[in-house]
Amino acid sequence: MEKFKNLPIVKKLGFNRIVLVVIMVLLYFLFSVKSGRPLDMGNVLNTVDFMGFLALGVTFVIATGGIDFSIGPVMFCAGLVGGQLLVVNGWPLWLCLIVTIMVGLAFGIANGIMVAYMKLPSFISSMASMRIAKGIGLLVTNSAGVSWPSSGAENDWYRNLVNYNGIPVGLIILLVTAVICAIVLNKTRVGRYILCIGSNREALRLSGVDTRKWEALAYVICGLLAGVAAIMYAGAITKYAAGQGDVFNNNAIAACVMGGTSMAGGTASIAGSLIGIFIISMLRVGITAMKFSPDWQYIITGVIVALCVFADIRSRARKK
Amino acid sequence: MQTLKKSGSTRKFDLQRIVVLGVAIVLAAFFSIASKEFRQYTTIVTLLDSFYYFAFMAIGVTFCLISGGNDLSVGTGMVCYAMIAGMMVKDFGCPVWMGIIIALVLGVAIGALNGVMVAIMNLPAFIATLCTMLITRGLSSVVCSGASISWPARASEEGWFRNIFKYMMPNALGKKTPIPTGLIVVIIAVIIMAFILNKTRVGRYIIAIGSNKEAARLSGVNVVKYEMLAYIISGLFAGIAGIAFAASNASSITASSGLGLELDAIGGAIIGGTSMTGGSGSIVGSMIGILILALLKNGLPKIGLTGDWQHVITGVILIAAIWFDVIKNRKKA
Amino acid sequence: MGETILTMKGIDKSFPGVHALDHVDLEVRRGEVHALMGENGAGKSTLMKVLTGIYTKDSGTITYEGKEIEFHNPKEAQEAGIVIVHQELNMMNHLTVAQNIFIGREFMKGAMIDDARMNVESKKLFNQLGINIDPSEKMGNLTVGKQQMCEIAKAISHQAKVIIFDEPSAALTEAEIEELFKIIRDLRDRQLGIVYISHRMDEIKVITDRVTVMRDGGYVGTLITRDCTKDDIINMMVGRVIYEDPKTKSMVAPDAPVVLKVEHLCAGKMVQDVSFELHKGEILGFSGLMGAGRTETARALFGADPKERGDIYINGKKVDIRSPKDAVALGIGYLSEDRKRYGIVVDKSVAENSTMANLKNFIKGIFIDKKEEDSVTKTYIQRLNTKTPGTDQLVVNLSGGNQQKVVLAKWLVKDCDILIFDEPTRGIDVGAKSEIYHLMNELVAQGKSIIMISSEMTEILRMSDRIVVMCEGRKTAEIDIADATQENIMHAATMR
Repeated sequence: MEKFKNLPIVKKLGFNRIVLVVIMVLLYFLFSVKSGRPLDMGNVLNTVDFMGFLALGVTFVIATGGIDFSIGPVMFCAGLVGGQLLVVNGWPLWLCLIVTIMVGLAFGIANGIMVAYMKLPSFISSMASMRIAKGIGLLVTNSAGVSWPSSGAENDWYRNLVNYNGIPVGLIILLVTAVICAIVLNKTRVGRYILCIGSNREALRLSGVDTRKWEALAYVICGLLAGVAAIMYAGAITKYAAGQGDVFNNNAIAACVMGGTSMAGGTASIAGSLIGIFIISMLRVGITAMKFSPDWQYIITGVIVALCVFADIRSRARKK
Repeated sequence: MQTLKKSGSTRKFDLQRIVVLGVAIVLAAFFSIASKEFRQYTTIVTLLDSFYYFAFMAIGVTFCLISGGNDLSVGTGMVCYAMIAGMMVKDFGCPVWMGIIIALVLGVAIGALNGVMVAIMNLPAFIATLCTMLITRGLSSVVCSGASISWPARASEEGWFRNIFKYMMPNALGKKTPIPTGLIVVIIAVIIMAFILNKTRVGRYIIAIGSNKEAARLSGVNVVKYEMLAYIISGLFAGIAGIAFAASNASSITASSGLGLELDAIGGAIIGGTSMTGGSGSIVGSMIGILILALLKNGLPKIGLTGDWQHVITGVILIAAIWFDVIKNRKKA
Repeated sequence: MGETILTMKGIDKSFPGVHALDHVDLEVRRGEVHALMGENGAGKSTLMKVLTGIYTKDSGTITYEGKEIEFHNPKEAQEAGIVIVHQELNMMNHLTVAQNIFIGREFMKGAMIDDARMNVESKKLFNQLGINIDPSEKMGNLTVGKQQMCEIAKAISHQAKVIIFDEPSAALTEAEIEELFKIIRDLRDRQLGIVYISHRMDEIKVITDRVTVMRDGGYVGTLITRDCTKDDIINMMVGRVIYEDPKTKSMVAPDAPVVLKVEHLCAGKMVQDVSFELHKGEILGFSGLMGAGRTETARALFGADPKERGDIYINGKKVDIRSPKDAVALGIGYLSEDRKRYGIVVDKSVAENSTMANLKNFIKGIFIDKKEEDSVTKTYIQRLNTKTPGTDQLVVNLSGGNQQKVVLAKWLVKDCDILIFDEPTRGIDVGAKSEIYHLMNELVAQGKSIIMISSEMTEILRMSDRIVVMCEGRKTAEIDIADATQENIMHAATMR
């Protein structure tokens, strides 16, 4: 095992990630065999698309050592605002898509200011903004929620962003975004500083870097991607219920933790988060396919997160 | 000795609690003046109905916050315990008293699980309790096979437990007047828990752990045991809240109804002056915090704003409260 | 002075690479105040930690009340009656004074804590000590001085027979020190044995009966305070042979321009009205004992901590430094004494750490130019002779000396003109140490200027061209290297 771990190719790809991919493949066969037919990957992709963006965004936040519990409801809020403007107020679609992203961005900026400049603890301040996001979503739609136009209706071309005649456009956009995120995280100043903030904020500050600015930026990126996720959600599912979305933060955070991003900050893996989201989405779909209650996913997610964080703490303690 | 006593009593009424109490009174007065409907007795009873279970959750969470931790699992936990116990009563013919015990035992069990993860495995409190939040959310629907659960109705034979929180007293008109007996239960619980917090070893050591864990350990305090106890207390009170929730809910309980409630409980405690950084907090303060949230929730619709405003306002108040806490701590440092 | 209560004989303790205690003796009698003195790192704290069971000794004996004993943890020592009053107070600020004093052994009335009785008992303790503290006050509301009194009261309530004061006066005001001395005298009269660790020469003369001096982990001697002079003690503290030849004269040209001028810098209690000048090509040594405020001065100058007042001029121009960002932009680099916390990011690579202060220059378009980063890092690895398998090695895997070189590389990559070295060789082995000295000399020869904070007398005398001595937040002397001796530096460092 040690020998395998030390192979150059394994080191390059990351042992944990290889294990995750193997788990992913095993899950596919398990679900396919147990439910008697191949796992519906289209269904899986529908959730992967939007949850993927959430996971990518929150990876940046967790890399700084923070957390963002607001992304799910922010995504809903953005989708509700955009959908309401489109369906009820009749705004042009392109403008609504921009507004949707802007709503996410605005929440990201607000979270960034609260955490980086006002020094509020991220987990509780993001829970507060989660409440505000829910409230705005409810207020804008009069608690009714909103449905984006379905296929065949007027203004339906946005759905092509997820699936165009069977081509998984959403997945392609997600993968492209993931590559950009990975580049930002590993090849640019933004990522370098964000990771260093997570490892040792004070050393970075004493090297003459304005840590507040870069920390806030992580939340801004996260908010922006939550806005994009809102469009993907609309494209895949169309119907937004008001006052919800909590489930998706947990899934996104679980995916990050599973993928090797440490809750303590400083290490993050975009590919890991993406694989994590695949696994979680497959669980969601697979559990239902096996005629189990879909709510098993909560329990499984909870246990996975606890185990991953515990393993991370243990390995850190051992290093010291 | 005279001066000693005086300074002792002024400390008990610290500024934040006076401000928060003032806010609660002003809100109550404002809603009463602005809305005739709000002034009515039935509105008050309804308000109290939704106050009880938040109050119990907040009592428990206050202990976790004081120990320097947190408990995000109270909301979904409460619903989980209410549903599983309710199912035992409805589908398996348990007597209600046994259902109540089941709810409490479940609460203590999940609380102990939190305690193990935080105190022994050293997981960050918010992430450990996030996990149990997910687990309890899942358990409630998995165990009940996704169905919603209703406890025995008031009229039924086993409906007596509803009187714990609201007693229907026959009046002269031949109708029934609801008496908010739950208030008495809450007050008793507050007195007991305030006593435990301030007058017993359990409370004393939980405060000590939140204030300076290392110093407490060096003074010979069994920090693992008492930190765990904070989470067990929180779990127990989530169980009690579950019963209150079942009793005040005439309709059936669904698994998703607990999501987000933890934030009101934690928010109430923080608004009431319990510090995010541990070491200080009061049960009475948490109650006032919860009361403010309940007033908003019930008052806003009565003055023509939809209840949804409550989410936004809660969020804003919460941010203000933690910011206040952060600034207060920064000044001290 | 009564009979001996505590004897430590031939105590020996080694840590990997360090011989911390070399056969140290200490004898404390009932009813005496016994001073334990020595420079930073002389081994005073280690000796006390061995006594109270935080460390286990390698050899030697501890005799307490006539019996040979060994404690395994501070609680055992406490129960036996040996208590330390720490400089860093171990208090729970949210609990009251009485609750702190009796934590872990509360008086109970059934299931209820008897706070009233705890208040009464605390009051009794305070009355015994003649101090006026309200036992029901929250600990966090007291001044540091009052908190210390509470620690003493706590010690006495443990039936202490030996109390160790670890630099008790460091954070106290004059009036509070008076009160402390009154208490200590009172304790002495009650036949307790007291160990008093302090750097303040004047206090030693006032309060103690005997002085034991330690130097470099060894025992130097014990004197009767009233029979010796301040100079006797100083000579014992510094009386080492400086074998690495000290600098005899300044290497700075007399007309070298002033690159940094600091005027009336004030930042909290630890930096009070500090002024000095740094010339081009100079190594300005900052000497002083622990808690003299040297690091605080550097941090305030660097913008790491807020300052209250003070003007800073760089090359004659007044500058406004509010954050490390400003300082770095002005060409100042700071090598912290606490490398792991403030210097390096341990779980990042050598290259990443090296370019941290100057990443802007490694950006090509939007990307970090990793090739350039790599090659520059390599240059500095060679130049500084850093021992690392490669540029992508995580810094956590390097030794202390090599970590320090990475920090140095970080500031050299930034091309700073003014470098602040805070304890540059702490925790570094001898070989790496002389390499770092060599580098510092090379840097000043290139026209850079260095402020070197050091607690090691040898280092100060070997490297500095001029020496600023600080004591308790104030500058107490400025000595040219030609006139500097261990004695006159130590005098200035113990001025108060």
